[in-house]
Amino acid sequence: MPTVKINGIEVEVPAGTNMIEAAAKIGIEIPHYCYHPHLTVAGNCRMCLCDVEAGGRGPDIACNMQARDGLAIRTDTPRVKQMRKSVMEFLLKNHPLDCPICDQSGECRLQDYYMDYGQYESRLADPKVTKHKRQDIGDHLVLDAERCVACSRCVRFGDQITGTGELRLFNRTDHTEIGIFPGVRIDHDYQGNLADICPVGAITSKDFRFQKRVWYLTDTDSICTACATGCDIKVCHERNQVFRIKPRRNDAVNQSWMCDHGRMIWQDLTSLGRLLQARVEGQVGNTDAAMQTAVETLQGAEPGTVGVVLGTQASNEANWALWRLAKDALKGASVFWCQGNDPGAWDRVDDLLIDADKNPNTEGVRALTRHDASIGDGADLAHAVREGNLKTLLVLQDDVLGRLGDAADGVAVLYIGTHRNGTVDKAAVVLPAAHTVEQDATYTNRRGQVQRVRRAVHPAGDSRPAWQLLDRLGASLGKAPGASTAAIAFKKLSAQVPAFADMTYRALGTQGLPLVAPQPEAQTDQASQEHHEPAK
Amino acid sequence: MDVPKPRILTRRWGLAGSHTLAVAEEHGGYASLRKALSMAPADITALVKASGLRGRGGAGFPTGLKWSFVPNAEKRAGKPVYLICNADESEPGTFKDRYCIWNDPHMLIEGCVIAAHAIGAKAAYIYLRGEFKYVKDRLDDALKEARAKGYVGKNIMGSGVDVDVWTHQGAGAYICGEETALLSSIEGHRGQPKLKPPFPAVEGAWHSPTIVNNVETLQVVPWLIEHGPDAYRAIGTEKASGTKLFSCSGNIKKPGVYELPLGYPMMELLNDECGGLLDGHTLKAVIPGGSSVPIMTPQEVAKATMDYESINEVAGSYLGSGGFIVMDERADLVDVLANLLRFYAHESCGQCTPCREGTGWMFSILDRLKSGDCTEDDIRILRDVANNIHSRTICFFGASAAMPVQSFLKKFPEEFFGRAGVSVPDDWRPAASAK
Repeated sequence: MPTVKINGIEVEVPAGTNMIEAAAKIGIEIPHYCYHPHLTVAGNCRMCLCDVEAGGRGPDIACNMQARDGLAIRTDTPRVKQMRKSVMEFLLKNHPLDCPICDQSGECRLQDYYMDYGQYESRLADPKVTKHKRQDIGDHLVLDAERCVACSRCVRFGDQITGTGELRLFNRTDHTEIGIFPGVRIDHDYQGNLADICPVGAITSKDFRFQKRVWYLTDTDSICTACATGCDIKVCHERNQVFRIKPRRNDAVNQSWMCDHGRMIWQDLTSLGRLLQARVEGQVGNTDAAMQTAVETLQGAEPGTVGVVLGTQASNEANWALWRLAKDALKGASVFWCQGNDPGAWDRVDDLLIDADKNPNTEGVRALTRHDASIGDGADLAHAVREGNLKTLLVLQDDVLGRLGDAADGVAVLYIGTHRNGTVDKAAVVLPAAHTVEQDATYTNRRGQVQRVRRAVHPAGDSRPAWQLLDRLGASLGKAPGASTAAIAFKKLSAQVPAFADMTYRALGTQGLPLVAPQPEAQTDQASQEHHEPAK
Repeated sequence: MDVPKPRILTRRWGLAGSHTLAVAEEHGGYASLRKALSMAPADITALVKASGLRGRGGAGFPTGLKWSFVPNAEKRAGKPVYLICNADESEPGTFKDRYCIWNDPHMLIEGCVIAAHAIGAKAAYIYLRGEFKYVKDRLDDALKEARAKGYVGKNIMGSGVDVDVWTHQGAGAYICGEETALLSSIEGHRGQPKLKPPFPAVEGAWHSPTIVNNVETLQVVPWLIEHGPDAYRAIGTEKASGTKLFSCSGNIKKPGVYELPLGYPMMELLNDECGGLLDGHTLKAVIPGGSSVPIMTPQEVAKATMDYESINEVAGSYLGSGGFIVMDERADLVDVLANLLRFYAHESCGQCTPCREGTGWMFSILDRLKSGDCTEDDIRILRDVANNIHSRTICFFGASAAMPVQSFLKKFPEEFFGRAGVSVPDDWRPAASAK
């Protein structure tokens, strides 16, 4: 790996690393607009101009200087500061300076860099160039060409990521502006990213338009649970209200992107189908009473007629708690899991991020089934129900009745979930569960990456995290799984299921960890014996 | 000056029907091609290197050296090599290439095929400025003749060498004369320059190694094959060998294109070839190499010779493309500069920040200055803006727009401050020379 020198500090980076990334590695920020780690280098903003001490000719742009031995640059000279100041002056020459009514205000690179490299005294005596404003370019986007700095990030996104190429630079000189061709509209599923990568307020999101000044928002790192991809996100909220979701960089999962469906998951929080209160036989009531009914139902069931159904929509912690509950408190209960979406959901899929599987935790549940071979699948469940072997089902966020239909008539269903579905309407007891943005938990994505969600807002209504509800249910039944907090639940999960071995919340961090590959057989047996011991 | 004035590029100009294959062949056309096809490509490149030929498009980069940058077949890994002839001549004050093609299209075709053979290209594209439609028509006719005769196409003259030559018409943007913008344009994209590195010789058109040469450069090649590098080196100066075409315009008696050995005294070009200034007028300034290069004062003109080194040493200017613009005392330099900047502010491709925003800014200040609506500060801002553009842009266009402003303000400050109604500030000159 070549060693380069930045401001006299040596840093070793992989060959081909550009100087913006190399500098970031040692904590030196090189300001830039057009450079984006997941797009090609355009080199047009000129904000990252640096002095070259050795190994090249300067001034040169950091984004297009690749690491090679002997290269030495400086970002701290008076000339570099002067160059940045001058680029800022040029960028603002025809900018409308309408920050008070601009959504980007507060997270705008023009504002950010102006603090350090501002001219402060205007030298402009001539009128500004006017361009097209408030252009409706897509269902989620508004374009203001006057605010644009022509960095071409959005053009490159359309060309290189979605391959749709709707956006182009039109005209020349200071009349250059971003636009779409006549009759064209951006209609792909990744529009929100265009607003994200726009370093200024030229492309803004309709959904967020005039909703909130961004400096009031708090960002909570989380992941999207709209499909099995599990894109890393940040949930932006204020006073217990979510205003938007933005993608967060994770090169192992979603690079810097997310789809527009995932971006809207926060709207589910308050949707009409949201379960905010417990129900017993369709009647809304308080959680304690419903919990009591559930306990009585389970205790009153004949031995061998109780089944639990794991949920691929629910977290690792909740599934673990339900699995423990079946093993410890409901001795003899059979465990099932179903793989599958609601009919039609498989249709929305692409090669980029949107997975056909709309369940965020299929792989997490699968890891559990690999560990415990006694867990039956959807066919086993359907068979058991048809045979009349199951009289009571404890279901974790899976539309079991919607899938089984009339075959399940007469089965008492105890349901834990977030939203109304075919099962909720027929369930004997419904306990409202917290949404992913309302709880701490983990999910395992399609590639086996275990990632955390963090609580951004309080659980709505009476809802509580599913792992917490299951822990309470277990306690009432005489043996709680022991999930007093999400972190403790996860710790126990990682101790018991080898696929999660040695993982902790701290170790997962912001980027997550891949599932541990299956161990040699002898070890797996040993591990399963160990955790079965308490059940003996 | 009593030096021989060999005619290399213009040797067939003036012959009746010089653009036809018959006349070209009668006067030595395609004889060099036959000879070149029997030579190893590396030997041709070595010969061009030895001749000291430098690119005639403006930058003066050694042509043979440029050719030698093409990666070998192993490094290319199956990628083709392209030769592109830059005939997008758009620099204000430069009008030699159009005459080169108009008068002797076969010399260009012959040069293209030899150069393509030397660098291993099977396809050569001649990119013509959009306004050169009539030139393109004549070149296309010549290509048809050459192709019919087997000088272009497959298995040229039984040598086994395949080179096809195509013409391509630009759409009239000045920036497409910049070699990487030309590549973008020929690929079918918006004509804007690309970042270097990678350089075109390594990764050019369609990500393949590409050599871009000016018309005049390629037209020298057949003569080099015929006469050898030493004969070429015997002409011109030590560092600038051969002859060069000068497009002379302005307040002179005989505007036109002149072929002269490099190193020819500038004053003699002005007084002898161009017939001197119009009667009753005195010299005010000369722009020696096309509108982008720094302006020269009469004192500098008297000392300089027409070659890359002298113009730079004497006046900090450049030979450029050889567009020799002469102005007499009637020229209003504020108006001249405003006119130049109108052009650059119109032609900036708009890709990178300093040039996109700065050229328009410089023009708007100059436009105001024409009527005197400027302060001393405005002129300082004008110089600042030019300094902030120069060498901070993706391509050389930024510098091309900045250099006239910097040099006019440095060498003729009284014209500009005078128009604003103030005298030249005491601190102006030293600061200006510090750059």
